[in-house]
Amino acid sequence: MNTLLVMAQIAGRRCAIEAPHVDMVIEMGAITPVPRTPDFVSGITAVRSQTLTVIDARLAIGFDPGAFAMDHRAIVATHERSAYAIRVDAIEDICTAVSEPDQVPGGFGEAWARVSSGLVETRVGPALLLNLESLLRAPEPFGAAA
Amino acid sequence: MDDLLADFVAETREMLEASSGEIVAWEADPTDRARLDTIFRFVHTVKGNCGFFDYPRLAALSHAAEDALADCRAGRREPDSRLVTAVLAIIDRIAAMVDAIEAEEEFEIGGDEELIAALEEGGDDTDSSSSPRTEQPEPTLADAQENAEQDKAAHSRSDTAVAQRSIRLPVDLLDRVMSGVSDMVLARNDLAHRLRQAGTQPMIDGPFERLTSILNDVRDAITRMRMQRIETLFAAFPRLVRDLSQTLDKQVTIDLEGGDVELDREMIEMIRDPLTHIIRNSIDHGIEPPSERKAAGKRETGSLSIAARQAGNTISIVVSDDGRGLCPDKIGAKAASMGLITEDEREGMALNDILQSIFQPGFSTAETVSNISGRGVGLDVVRQNLERIGGTISVKSTKGVGTLFTLQIPLTLSIITGLNVVASGQRFSIPQSYVEEIIHSSSRVLDFTTVGETGLVTFRGNRVPCLKLSEVLELPPSELADDDLTMVMLKLANGDLFALAVDDIHSHSDIVVKPLALAVMQAGIYAGSSLLDDGMPVLLLDITSIAAQGNIVSDLRGRLHKVREEDEDNQVKDHSRAMLFTDFEGRRRAIRLDLVKRIETVQTSALDRSGLTPRVVIDGAILPIIGLPDGPIEREKLRFLRLSDGDSQLAYAIREVVEAAELSGSLTPVSDDPLVEAVTLLGDETISLLDGHELFARFGEAPIESRKPVCRLPQGEWSRTILAPLLTNAGYEVASEPDIQEDVAIWFEDEYEAAAAIDMEFAAPVVRLRETPEAPENSPTIYRYDREGLLAALNSARRAKGQG
Repeated sequence: MNTLLVMAQIAGRRCAIEAPHVDMVIEMGAITPVPRTPDFVSGITAVRSQTLTVIDARLAIGFDPGAFAMDHRAIVATHERSAYAIRVDAIEDICTAVSEPDQVPGGFGEAWARVSSGLVETRVGPALLLNLESLLRAPEPFGAAA
Repeated sequence: MDDLLADFVAETREMLEASSGEIVAWEADPTDRARLDTIFRFVHTVKGNCGFFDYPRLAALSHAAEDALADCRAGRREPDSRLVTAVLAIIDRIAAMVDAIEAEEEFEIGGDEELIAALEEGGDDTDSSSSPRTEQPEPTLADAQENAEQDKAAHSRSDTAVAQRSIRLPVDLLDRVMSGVSDMVLARNDLAHRLRQAGTQPMIDGPFERLTSILNDVRDAITRMRMQRIETLFAAFPRLVRDLSQTLDKQVTIDLEGGDVELDREMIEMIRDPLTHIIRNSIDHGIEPPSERKAAGKRETGSLSIAARQAGNTISIVVSDDGRGLCPDKIGAKAASMGLITEDEREGMALNDILQSIFQPGFSTAETVSNISGRGVGLDVVRQNLERIGGTISVKSTKGVGTLFTLQIPLTLSIITGLNVVASGQRFSIPQSYVEEIIHSSSRVLDFTTVGETGLVTFRGNRVPCLKLSEVLELPPSELADDDLTMVMLKLANGDLFALAVDDIHSHSDIVVKPLALAVMQAGIYAGSSLLDDGMPVLLLDITSIAAQGNIVSDLRGRLHKVREEDEDNQVKDHSRAMLFTDFEGRRRAIRLDLVKRIETVQTSALDRSGLTPRVVIDGAILPIIGLPDGPIEREKLRFLRLSDGDSQLAYAIREVVEAAELSGSLTPVSDDPLVEAVTLLGDETISLLDGHELFARFGEAPIESRKPVCRLPQGEWSRTILAPLLTNAGYEVASEPDIQEDVAIWFEDEYEAAAAIDMEFAAPVVRLRETPEAPENSPTIYRYDREGLLAALNSARRAKGQG
């Protein structure tokens, strides 16, 4: 298995996103807040005349972003024809996965289990492989969030 | 599937689309050879093609139909409705088979023989309803492609398009180009913004201008690429009407108009269902059975007419029938029983307003208008679907005469005009189509009040619910007072009004609407986003949803109370208007507008401050001045309100005029200043209203020259319509009766010379007018359009007379 992975720190944990799902990494510009949306939607921003929905990955998983640093860059991914800019603690590197995603006994904890499809080994160590689709879904039913 | 086969499928579809309308027309007039030929050509082509591709069943069907039609062409057989039905059934079957071929599926066995047998002359009465109509096996597979083919079909049908070269394109490629161009426009806007920031750079500005104009052209062209004649939509209707009317045993003719109106391809798809629904409704509920029509003295054949018109950025489609019409009584009763309106309101509602309740959710036309059951989908869904694309629908009807549905839809989905507003420091965009009017609430026409938790404004005599945008969006409350908010009056599709209070209006712009991510859309108040000229994204508000969430749609009728007429009369009486100004002591003051005759600007040198009361000469009249500051006046020019009570006049010196405003607040009398009648609240300021009675009692005097000078004019149209108003404005009395003694007279030069030649006596000094701007030498004449010169000449002539 030689999948390329974009490595990032999210809420202090090392995570990996499969590179084919990542469109690009951008410098964040001004964010226009969007009232009445769940917390994890930071707002919308424009990059090269394209509108991106800015998602704070820490909030989307269920952590308090105040406790962590924030990268001035964001990971851009397209899901269901909408483009998202995903904000994380830090964007680290691109690595090659050296194992298939695997579960570990005892799991990763409830918050992480929802957004992760398992653990992958890379040359920098183990990382949680994030499932973008779950990440971009609300951490809880929208009725409660909104 | 190889290309050749794909072409076959596409071509067959195209011809199918084209021939379904033809075949109904042919049924109406079986002698019409042109129609017969078209249909014959279709089956003939299909037959030829399927032989080539080895589809024996298709070949057999088309061959049978071709034979029957050939007989008709050769005159061996008279086409009748049974034959038409049978041919239609075969064409349907061919369409279903073509779908199956495209989906690369096996088509169900059997049924072909019956269809072929139905073609036989004098064969069994095989009704169209009994012939197997196969559902399209894989409708989702190639919907998009089908659209493209309809596109093509439209062109191949239109006469002019025959000569045009055309190519077939997948629709998503077209969409990609479209969105690419939209992005290009946005990128250009961004660049324009940056160039503006960088200042003028002739090296770059020129080419940039060129880029802009090219881009605009391309955008136009692309928009047109997405356009489709509405004909493609209409083409299916004759068949629909024919099938429906046959099922219902009614006779209906359809009349289509405006098929050449072009509409966004996507939009055509969006209105297909609503239009079909309305047509079904009209035939099902509207048009009566032949016997009933005859009894009512109408033609047995009902008529349904669909007309499309383009007006600016909207297309209106009118569907009208001459059926039994809607019954306002029943609809009103039903609406009342459903709680949409109260009985009292029903009394007061216009007939037309009652009819619009049929678009309310849950309103079933089946129970009220006809005993034929509905299909579970109401007109409210039609309305919703139209509103989703920014359209509206309304109905008009006369009982027994017919019903008329009007659909208004925007030309295109993706580029709309937006009104950018500001709420709590953030910009949002509102589709311009909803905006009825923008009212700065300081203009005092709105009378913003809060009743309970509900904001209300008065707009043209109606109490209209008002939502504050910052509250809708749960933003921190605006720093502005309620009275300083700007009201955007929005008109919903059903005609209901509501006001959206915003902090400020930013600008209008054409915006390219982009969909937003699910998480944002789920908030239910955004319709999309766009980029502004400065590259910042802006959210487009979904007005219909906001109104729905604010609970002002369903019971809006109930809340849109008409302010009682007496109240309105009172208001008019109370709200007399006043002129707001700042006096020389810097105080805001108001004076009733009725008293203000004019606002005058006078050179300070024209002031005479020698006497006890300063005076000023305005237009030759000497007026007393009040309100002047003590001490020297530094200004070169002074402004005065020229007040008049009819006889006496006053000049009130002011620093500046603020505005004319309505005295809507209560007036509190004051006693400490005799010149002030009352204080009142305007906006959030208290204003002293001057006491006109006291002013004139103390200072008023008739202008020294109270009698207006009389001026006699020459005869003729020009002097009556042009000269007379000018002189009246300048303060002259125009002499019309011959026995009035004039002070001065105006003559045309040629007439004057003639009169002088016979030594006529002139009772008053004469000012002579000439035709040409250039004066002949030593001529004491004035050019007829030299206003200043004329007035000056009249003045000096009068003075000369006074001295003489």
